[in-house]
Amino acid sequence: MLKSPYDFLAVEAMCGIVGYIGNKQAQPILLNSLSKLEYRGYDSCGIAIGAGSLKVYKDAVRVEALAKMMPKLNGMAGIGHTRWATHGKPSQVNAHPHLDCSGNIAVVHNGIINNFQSLRQQLIAEGHKFISDTDTEVIPHLIEKYYAKNDKNLEKAVASALNDIEGSYAIIVLALAEPKLVAARKDSPLIIGIGDRENFIASDVPAILDYTNRVIYLEDGDIGVVTKDSLRVKRNGTKVNREEHKILWSIADAQKAGYDHFMLKEIHEQPKVIRDTLAEWMSATEPVTDLAAMCDGMKPVLILACGTSYHAALIGKYLAEEQLGILARVEFASEFNYSAQNLTTTGVIAITQSGETADTLKAMKKLKEVGCQLLTITNVVGNSASRVADKTIYTRAGPEISVAATKSFIAQLMALYWLVLSCSQADVRKLDNLTTGLRQLPEKVQQVLDNEEKIEQEANYLSGYENVFFVGRGINFPVALEGALKLKEISYIHAEGYAAGELKHGPFALLSENTPVIAIVPRDNTYDAMLTNIREIKARSSTVIALVEEGDDTIEEFADSVITVPRVDAIFTPVVNTVALQLLAYYTARKRNCPIDFPRNLAKSVTVE
Amino acid sequence: MKQAVILAAGEGQRLRPFTANKPKAMISIAGKPILHHVIESLARNGIRNVVLIVGYKREQVFDYMGSGEQFGIDITYVNQKKQLGTAHALAQAKDAVKDEFLVLPGDNLIEAGTIARFVTIKPEAMLVKRVDNPTRYGVVTIEDGMVKNIIEKPEEAKSNVINTSIYAFSRDIFNRIESELDIPNVLNNMIAQGKYLSADETEGTWLDVVYPWDILSLNNILLRQTQAGMGGTVESGVSLKGAVAVGKDTVIRSNSYIVGPVVIGEGCDIGPNVCIMPATSIGDNVVVSPFSEIKNSVIGNDVSIGPGSIIQDSVIDKGCVINGQFTAGSGQAEVKVDNEYHSINTGAMLGEGCSIGSSVVAEPGVIVGNYSQVQSLKVINGILPDRSLVL
Repeated sequence: MLKSPYDFLAVEAMCGIVGYIGNKQAQPILLNSLSKLEYRGYDSCGIAIGAGSLKVYKDAVRVEALAKMMPKLNGMAGIGHTRWATHGKPSQVNAHPHLDCSGNIAVVHNGIINNFQSLRQQLIAEGHKFISDTDTEVIPHLIEKYYAKNDKNLEKAVASALNDIEGSYAIIVLALAEPKLVAARKDSPLIIGIGDRENFIASDVPAILDYTNRVIYLEDGDIGVVTKDSLRVKRNGTKVNREEHKILWSIADAQKAGYDHFMLKEIHEQPKVIRDTLAEWMSATEPVTDLAAMCDGMKPVLILACGTSYHAALIGKYLAEEQLGILARVEFASEFNYSAQNLTTTGVIAITQSGETADTLKAMKKLKEVGCQLLTITNVVGNSASRVADKTIYTRAGPEISVAATKSFIAQLMALYWLVLSCSQADVRKLDNLTTGLRQLPEKVQQVLDNEEKIEQEANYLSGYENVFFVGRGINFPVALEGALKLKEISYIHAEGYAAGELKHGPFALLSENTPVIAIVPRDNTYDAMLTNIREIKARSSTVIALVEEGDDTIEEFADSVITVPRVDAIFTPVVNTVALQLLAYYTARKRNCPIDFPRNLAKSVTVE
Repeated sequence: MKQAVILAAGEGQRLRPFTANKPKAMISIAGKPILHHVIESLARNGIRNVVLIVGYKREQVFDYMGSGEQFGIDITYVNQKKQLGTAHALAQAKDAVKDEFLVLPGDNLIEAGTIARFVTIKPEAMLVKRVDNPTRYGVVTIEDGMVKNIIEKPEEAKSNVINTSIYAFSRDIFNRIESELDIPNVLNNMIAQGKYLSADETEGTWLDVVYPWDILSLNNILLRQTQAGMGGTVESGVSLKGAVAVGKDTVIRSNSYIVGPVVIGEGCDIGPNVCIMPATSIGDNVVVSPFSEIKNSVIGNDVSIGPGSIIQDSVIDKGCVINGQFTAGSGQAEVKVDNEYHSINTGAMLGEGCSIGSSVVAEPGVIVGNYSQVQSLKVINGILPDRSLVL
């Protein structure tokens, strides 16, 4: 498809949308809900309120600023949007909500419309006037077109408009003189919060938790008509029932509670997260799933994930292979989607915190079509991944507001340990040791947290550098990757994780006194090799900070400084090591005055490919 | 009164090892930190707006209290960077409080009834109480319902009426703090300048925990209000007598015998064949192996107790891993804390994260520091500092 030069400014994606219709003033509710969705994007925002006339207020600012700037708009129905640009700088004219020609239909949209160019041209030919460069703007004009044709039936107009669209969307439509909001979703999340004579629509749960904990998840192809007293969901013209879920998170979970940043709070929640997940699983009467049964003889299990979850997947591979003797293959979901392979795996584990990660979902759907058995490890109840998978393990880490994943990663590790435990293949004595070890983890992680001040000192040192390496071996190699990712994400330092043995195959050329190296040195079968690596690194004048087990005196001769973690069994070292590296990243970012919870250019749940 | 300021920044040095990693207000009694009991008492009296002054190990408070939502209250945290005294702590709250507010210590155990009348009193006022050991506290002289003076820790107490450190103040108090570090000094100055400070006496619960073994007596008193409840599962042959509260996901295995009042947390694995005798509190994620008896003790989260253990009148802090045949029996002991000798009847006090080998015997009154390791078959006594190794 020929792309116009305007394409750069046009394509929108990765946003948060909200809607309210009820018996209270919409403006404060919409603004508050949007502020809770800012982790999805915060370049620009806007709201539209319909009462008497349809008023839109939007700008390329954050929600807090908009709230201060905007006049008080009266009305008990409205929609709102907060945006994260994938293309083009944020601007007032490109911000949502977008209107039709009459100014009586307003739309907020999360997603990408692939054929918006041709639609736009056609609408212009039909006399419609466009003012922005966005793909979204075609939607209100399409609805306007079909509204007249459909005898002013908003729902039918929206359905017809959506038929013309190719792409992904979660939209909320507000039309003047219609006592309803119309919501629709395809390949982009959208939920409805049920209240008392009021209803809420949002991209994600935290937006509505202040008001209700009763939630309905819309599914792809659904069109929901929401009034203040009712909700009607249709799909392909037929009425469907969507189950109501009760969210177990409390509003407190989604607030900082004394901590300066959500990330620090979430790091500190980890002992409790471990304890709570263990309590639930240890008292479960049925095994979660039989991993061995998922594998078909010689075929390996495929583990798919993105980002931090990919690092959990790598650790899962070590666990499956060492503990169960099952061959496991790990792939980036995004890469997997582009390889033209003959899919022969029958057992698939998809790890995704949000369950809405576009790359992972696409891969899952492809694999399901060829008959694979899908297990997903995810954190958000009722999400898209859980609806595609055959079995779901929920990690119950609670909402993770900070963009950088911390507790969700540790919770994913717990799920993987638990999977191994509930597998019939494992040796009984090994299982016993695993269980005892797991129960001790909350205390061990707390001890790492209690040692924060020491880690902060190392972070202060690190904060002066622009390039840092992390090295590890075996089950701690993914920990090195994760440590580097955390540092990268929130402190903007160029950090790289390497398998320690790989450094001398090239990356050594980068080492100098300006490249500190964090070496993960647990007391397992990689210990001696790591000591050798450290000697080699030090010979290149780099500073080495070693992450070691408490009581290890030998290491002090080799490394420049040391961060200690409590003694745990080798299989659990990734847990305490990761927590220490999370803190290292946090304090480094803090010293560099980085925004931490909402790093530049990143969004929490990547719902675009 | 609609608002309260709670001072929860203090360390509580005499409560080592238990306060090495948490402030005094977070010491657990009957399954909940003292601070939780204080907040609950406030909420029951309609006060749901709380300013929490934190300092020492404040993350422990954040992690447990959160934003207060789950306790039905709104919490504003104020950080007292250096713990210089109660008046200094109160001064930190200046920007967070409205016109009238209660001030309470976060580390004195109270119940709703203790302050039921006091919450209706007009500032400035002080809550007083008669106690058996007034020389430990600020002794108050009262005339016509007004406080005349407060004498801290007198050699000889003129009366047994003491200052509970619970006050009703107005914003005027901030004008009077000046450079004073402790509230009683501020009040004495205030009275000398002719300002009135009324006294209200309470007969309700007001308990102080000063030494590690005080935890047991407070635990006892609070557990009396336990209501039986079963959130977990119970196997066949288990006997539960009296008020036994069991948390969710906990399993009590066959032939265990539990006599209340006993509180057991979530995700625990108790038994089989375990006896738990009154008055015992057990935290979350605790494993008690077969043929063990726990009596009148406080066991923290994440503790693992090996088979055949006997634990009486003891406090075991979180994360301890104790191997089989551990004996911590009760008995007379002379314990030295802060250069003072105390003659008490008690079991063992174990700090956080200790690792105890098999068949270890803990003599009555032993205080084991945090993260200590004791090899098998050892007999331990006296006071062991943090990270001791008994080999």
